[in-house]
Amino acid sequence: MIGLESMRRLATGLALCAIALPAWSQDPPAPAEEGKDAGDAKKDDAKDDEPERWFAIVGGDVHTGTGEVLRAATLLARNGKIHSIGYDLYIPPDTKTVDAKGYRVYPGLVAISSQGLLGNATSDFDDTMDPFNYRMILGLATGITTTGAGSGAVKLKRFAVGGAVLNQKIFATFSWSNSNPRGKGELREKMKAAAQYLREYREWQRKVKEEKELPEPNKRGVDNSVLAVLQGEQTAKFVANDRDELLGIARLAQEYNFRPVIEGCMEGWTVADELGRAGARAIITARARRPKDERQVLAGGASIENAAMLHKAGVPVAIKPANEGIDLSGLVGRDIMHLPLEVGFAIRGELPDKAALESITIVPARILGVSNRVGSLEVGKDCDAIVTDGDVLHYKTFVQWTVVDGKVVYDKEKELYFAHIRPRPEAPAPKKIDAGETPPKDEPAAEEKPADEKKDGDEKKGEEKKDGEKKDG
Amino acid sequence: MLRLQASILAASLAALVATPALAGGPLVIKVGRAETATKGVIEHAVILVEDGKIVAIGEDLPVERGLPVIDRPEWTVVPGLVSAYTRIGQDSEGGDDMSPDVRSRDELWPKSPDLRKVVEYGVTTLGIYPAGNGIPGLGVAIRPLGDTVDELVLKDPTYLKIVMRADSASKKRIKDGFKKADEHAEKVKKAKEKWDKDQEKKAPKKEEPKKEEVKKDDEKKDAEKKMAQGGEEPEAAQEPKPDAKDKDKKPEFVPPAPDAKSRSFVELREKKLRALVSISGAAEYLHWLDALGKESINFDMRIVLNQDSDVFYVFDKKTFDLDVDGIGDRKIHAVVEPLLTFTPNTRRVRNLPLELSRAGAKVCFTPRSDDLPNYKAWLGHVGELVGAGLAHDDALRALTIQPAELLGVADRVGSLEKGKDANFVFLDGNPFEPATRIQAVMLDGKFVYGEVDQ
Repeated sequence: MIGLESMRRLATGLALCAIALPAWSQDPPAPAEEGKDAGDAKKDDAKDDEPERWFAIVGGDVHTGTGEVLRAATLLARNGKIHSIGYDLYIPPDTKTVDAKGYRVYPGLVAISSQGLLGNATSDFDDTMDPFNYRMILGLATGITTTGAGSGAVKLKRFAVGGAVLNQKIFATFSWSNSNPRGKGELREKMKAAAQYLREYREWQRKVKEEKELPEPNKRGVDNSVLAVLQGEQTAKFVANDRDELLGIARLAQEYNFRPVIEGCMEGWTVADELGRAGARAIITARARRPKDERQVLAGGASIENAAMLHKAGVPVAIKPANEGIDLSGLVGRDIMHLPLEVGFAIRGELPDKAALESITIVPARILGVSNRVGSLEVGKDCDAIVTDGDVLHYKTFVQWTVVDGKVVYDKEKELYFAHIRPRPEAPAPKKIDAGETPPKDEPAAEEKPADEKKDGDEKKGEEKKDGEKKDG
Repeated sequence: MLRLQASILAASLAALVATPALAGGPLVIKVGRAETATKGVIEHAVILVEDGKIVAIGEDLPVERGLPVIDRPEWTVVPGLVSAYTRIGQDSEGGDDMSPDVRSRDELWPKSPDLRKVVEYGVTTLGIYPAGNGIPGLGVAIRPLGDTVDELVLKDPTYLKIVMRADSASKKRIKDGFKKADEHAEKVKKAKEKWDKDQEKKAPKKEEPKKEEVKKDDEKKDAEKKMAQGGEEPEAAQEPKPDAKDKDKKPEFVPPAPDAKSRSFVELREKKLRALVSISGAAEYLHWLDALGKESINFDMRIVLNQDSDVFYVFDKKTFDLDVDGIGDRKIHAVVEPLLTFTPNTRRVRNLPLELSRAGAKVCFTPRSDDLPNYKAWLGHVGELVGAGLAHDDALRALTIQPAELLGVADRVGSLEKGKDANFVFLDGNPFEPATRIQAVMLDGKFVYGEVDQ
């Protein structure tokens, strides 16, 4: 049933989004903003009077997160920013290096939201974060280098305070819920009022040059957060799962021309093309489940293909686990420590590998408004990277090193938690480098087919294993 | 050789406790072993005490005939213990969050029975800290026995206590404090400009002294206010007072005195005062340095150890590749409890005082908890750390000379050296062995605990 329905949806979605897709899939920050950021970066570089600090990850397969893979390449960073990625690079003396031969290098993961990785801090992170707490270590061990926190984006800068907050006050959160029809009407009214005010304000701006005495339009009664959204200063965020809620949000967004972020989005696959057209972004938990509402005639309920279908319809998908914190009770695998595992469930639903990696790197970075600094390995961006012993989305893979701002902040061998599991050989034996994505021989392939049954079993095994690890920790 | 009955001696000394000036004639103490804390160990030590001070100390010194002698070859003597961070015997009413002008001296209670009791546990110097959170005020160094506040006080103030927590309010308090100091600096600058102008005029020479008189009046008022608050006029060492003869000679610029609220931070900046910064975790150390920014002041640390303390992350810069100097790198004093802790989330024991001292910090022990039972067990608790690897000499220094340095009274107490106060703890063995007991305690040349035959 679901399969057929989704196929049909998919086809129409694809057709409909043929035009819309290019516009949204690039998803750059507003050009003016980007220009500003670039300028700032240059200024930062100029005022750097500290001695140059070089750092290199040498010889790993660099997965840049933009689709490219550079085999056995070197990533070189200067003062915490990526200086170059490539081959036969000149490495200045006194460069701190990580020998990543036989390993893979990925951009540091971006958790769209998390709890506790910054200590007990809940706001004012630059003043309150605890860069020594064990949850940060576990976050870094997972590969997370940036996280959405509170209403901002913060880096997991270990052993340092200050300069960790990348972005603040990103979201304006609204409710659009079937259980609160009045709220829908109110929000629409607010949108209307704010749009009206904006129109009047712009007109006034134009006219006031000639008529100096013209009074400024009255702002009374205009909702500030709605105004911020319509002006593009903040991002509207909704938590919604039902098909008609999602449709309502999509229509509202198209009417007032803003790009909503929708968390939950469980029935998103049923209205994927509408969401794509509205430029929505989705934050989903890939393994979340719910049955279809019996009263609903049309397709509904959760689908494992949700992420894949949203992606195909041009909706950028960020993935988050069911539990945003580090959870040391209950069943293993559902908390932030298993962010890449969560993506595995989207991959089961046919989310392409590239989109899967993007769902925990560049997409959340874009939603958090920090994609100019993190989320992929590109020259000029922050040197936030992870070195892994396999595909980052494979359950067996361990993060060996985590690098933030060109500094190793996690080394598996030096921390208590996983050092005893498959310890790293002194000098990693050079593994066969091939052209494809074939993982090393002793590891079952992540992408191998037929994957479904086999993977299911393996995953369970993996979960049990991880459970054991935790007890050790 | 003169031999007095112990009871007579004790009685006469008891009468003298209140009047240290009469502390009396020379006394020779011979013990099997003296651990001086600064100059190593002296076997068969002879100590000559007069007027409450150590006049001479050495191995087998010749003793003049006729001097009273206490000869206890089975005893070991160590300097009187210094507890640099305590509120024993004080009530614990806290001040408000930002009161850098509050003085612990003003709340001393000399008759506290606890003060009399800690002497029996070998403590002869105490650094009282101001109660409260935030920036509660200035500490005071005291001797534990005396009838009036004046008799107690050794040094006032000792340090400005700052409680640093990982929150915005803590940082704001520090920035506000320095802002006050900025305002004062601005005031001084303006006064100086005005004074310079007046000097240039030269002609109205009479105006200048007038101005100074006005200022002096202000000072007086300030001081009176302080008196009214219950304290004595603080030593106004930072302002060169215009003497009468100065006026006759060359007029000198006298900067206006900082007001009560800004004084502590002005003095911090001028490095006339040290801060004692209380932290309970590694993060708070970084937040403290962040709050400090570019300010350059002298500070020491109070590190509240708990079972899972992660403070070892900031002991030195090298181990964890910190951006800033660690506590050890700064060679500052660190007040800690004698406590073995665990690596966080494990049962792996760590000896943080040992790690601190290896990193270069000067450890100062405070009792595990600020109460009499923990004072009684203090030496034993430190002994546990010695058993876990802390060097004997380091442990002794952390109980004597280092806290004395922290309080700024190391010229008077904290070690067995010529010229220092005769504060001794006599023990029947190694101070850090569990079976060792304190036999007698001497404070300013008088036995204040123990029965001693001469």
